[in-house]
Amino acid sequence: MEKFFQRKVTVTLKYIIVALVSAILLMLIESSFAKREYAISAFLTVGLIAIAITYLTNFSIPMKFFLPGMLFLFAFVVGPILYTVAMSGFHFQTGNYISKPESITQIISGGIRPDAAQTTFDVVIGEDPGKKLEILASDPTNKKYFLSTATSKTDLDPAGLAIDGNGDATVAPGFTALTPSEQAAQDKALGSTRFAYSTDFFITIEGGNVASLKEQSLKYDSSTDTFTNVLTHAVYRDNGRGNFTNIKDKNDQLQPGWRAPIWFENYTKLLTDPQIRSALIPVFIWTIVFASLTVLTQFALGLLIAMTLNRKLHGRRIYRSILILPYAMPSIMSILIWGGMFDTEFGAINHLFGSHVHWFQSALYARLAVIIVNLWLGFPYFYLICSGALQAIPAELSEAAAIDGASSRQIFRKITLPLLLQVVSPLLVASFAFNFNNFNIIYLLTGGGPQNTLGGAVAGSTDILISYTYKIAFSAGNQNLGLASAISVVIFVIIASISLYGIRRSKVLDSFK
Amino acid sequence: MKRWIKEDLWRHALLLVTCFFVLFPIYLVFLSALSPTGSLQVTSFIPKTISFKNFHLLFTSPKIPYLVWMKNSVVIAGLVAVLSVVIGAASAFSFSRLRFRGKKKGLQLLLLVQMFPAILSLSAVYVIMERVYNFAPRIGLGTEPGLLLVYLGGAMGVNIWLLKGFVDSIPIELDEAAKVDGASAVQTYWLIFVPLAAPILAVVSLLSFIGTFNEFILARLFLVDQNSRTIAVGLQSFISGQYATNWGPFAAGSIIASIPLVAIFLSLQRYIISGLTAGSVKG
Repeated sequence: MEKFFQRKVTVTLKYIIVALVSAILLMLIESSFAKREYAISAFLTVGLIAIAITYLTNFSIPMKFFLPGMLFLFAFVVGPILYTVAMSGFHFQTGNYISKPESITQIISGGIRPDAAQTTFDVVIGEDPGKKLEILASDPTNKKYFLSTATSKTDLDPAGLAIDGNGDATVAPGFTALTPSEQAAQDKALGSTRFAYSTDFFITIEGGNVASLKEQSLKYDSSTDTFTNVLTHAVYRDNGRGNFTNIKDKNDQLQPGWRAPIWFENYTKLLTDPQIRSALIPVFIWTIVFASLTVLTQFALGLLIAMTLNRKLHGRRIYRSILILPYAMPSIMSILIWGGMFDTEFGAINHLFGSHVHWFQSALYARLAVIIVNLWLGFPYFYLICSGALQAIPAELSEAAAIDGASSRQIFRKITLPLLLQVVSPLLVASFAFNFNNFNIIYLLTGGGPQNTLGGAVAGSTDILISYTYKIAFSAGNQNLGLASAISVVIFVIIASISLYGIRRSKVLDSFK
Repeated sequence: MKRWIKEDLWRHALLLVTCFFVLFPIYLVFLSALSPTGSLQVTSFIPKTISFKNFHLLFTSPKIPYLVWMKNSVVIAGLVAVLSVVIGAASAFSFSRLRFRGKKKGLQLLLLVQMFPAILSLSAVYVIMERVYNFAPRIGLGTEPGLLLVYLGGAMGVNIWLLKGFVDSIPIELDEAAKVDGASAVQTYWLIFVPLAAPILAVVSLLSFIGTFNEFILARLFLVDQNSRTIAVGLQSFISGQYATNWGPFAAGSIIASIPLVAIFLSLQRYIISGLTAGSVKG
């Protein structure tokens, strides 16, 4: 009876959770569809259907276990990976960030200019009887008065109007003025509304109670997909790369552009564009040097400590506790502290050695600092790994070798090290792959600097590929998401090959069979 | 005696030098946390006066929402630690124990995906969440739930992979015995697997907690508002502004934030290390 009751509770609970999740998903599907994010709503719909089938029927037991994990994996790992690959095929950067329809809308709203006489009106902002925004405009010099909404203009007879000392109309039939707070609430609409004037001209509000007469200087023709400048008669055509370009002058482009597919151009640029290539090659070499030196120094010190402690010694436990501290501390804080210690004027390092080294101003010293700090952060990991591995090597082997007359150096080189490497090498590979993308240490310690100011390149001397990519993708004012994605894809191919090599060696793949 | 000098002296010398290397920055953190001037300027390595002003400042200064940052970090990292293991363990169990079509393909996908460093798809995640913000402002870019979702998703690949390794090491005979006794897969999971794997699940969730607590760049891109920052972003913003002046409170804040993590790590090091050798690298 009790069991039956327990079962009832869990089943009810299951239905409640499924219902809740479904309700949230439904809401998201509806709102994403309304905002035309079709890819996202499609994914959510598939997710919803999968959840319903899995948990409301007995379609597949294993799916009940792995569905939530897989949904998260697809939404936030596989999805972004595919999106990165897709972005790398686009001209997607500052100035080409939005979609084409958005870009056309923005060009139209930006492509206006005052009329030749630079006419202005005094206006009262209000609403028509249908609660639509309306202005009561006065031209005191010419004694002309009219009402105007976004769609229509009504001329008024000055005789029937209340006109104040400045010659401005203040009240008109059917017109209700807005209070300042009502105006503030409609601020955005007021700024973007075009009030009707004549076929070619319209009125925009400049602020407070002044409006000016404008005309569209860039006209869009949707049948030919071109813009025409009314004044110069220049024609702008879609150049296939995300911009409207003057057909007579390639450098005359309309802003903003949109993200447009350029297929493999971001990849070929990596090799052919001299500015990108000259930054990328040193960064790539340093990335490899940095990752190799890091693994090498961390492993060497870790192994040395492990061998030193691999026998009875006074204070062994205390040493051990102290030596793994860097590994236990939050690494972000350690990195920031080291950053302060390398300060030229007040830093503890210069104080300790009585030196006056400008650590972060010279490429060589900055790189040295990065390696030292990374050694501090990472050697305890290899110490822990190596001490475990050393204990697993049977003592008989080295004893037998010693009896045969081998020196301790020979024992180390011919017996201990090979056996150790067999265990540790997959981890060395993993650590190399990790440090290849060790963004935090570079970003927080040196920020990639010192900067090479020659040629205005964004890459600094300690920038590794990932921090360089980050700069390309997120530097203020000059984002290039397309190029950054292309570099990300290249990095992934490199990392995947290295890791697969490591995995093949560790024979993980065999377990699939 | 001679043998001691020959064999042990160099060991102690080497270990002492390394200990000095390890302890030097840690000592400096305490030095500046306890110094009344609150800078990392070293005039002397021996403190002349000790003051708790910096600690006091952390909890009282309205300019430093330290407790709010701490709360944000603990809540986000805590939720990620619990949810990612609850979701990940079920997936790992099915991949390790159950038979189904496409299992091999799934494992290969998982292997490939868990190698992909999350930071590589940073800009994609950013753009996607920017779009999500357009239709669902509560879970998009700039919100804590959004960050939580991204963390959960990002932790999934590695966690499932890691947990699968552990599940594989639990003897399959236990499941089979349960099956013979008529238990369903769900019953086997809850009554056999979960109790057996509890210590492992705890360790993996701790690793998740530490990893999330340490995460910097996503948190920085996502959470712009001063009061929604995590401790890592908060403390960093703190010394990157006016450089030398804020070191004291920064050091004090780092010490308080580090103590629980160091304590957890040291007390559970044996379990955590077994997780590390299984392939996770701490960030």
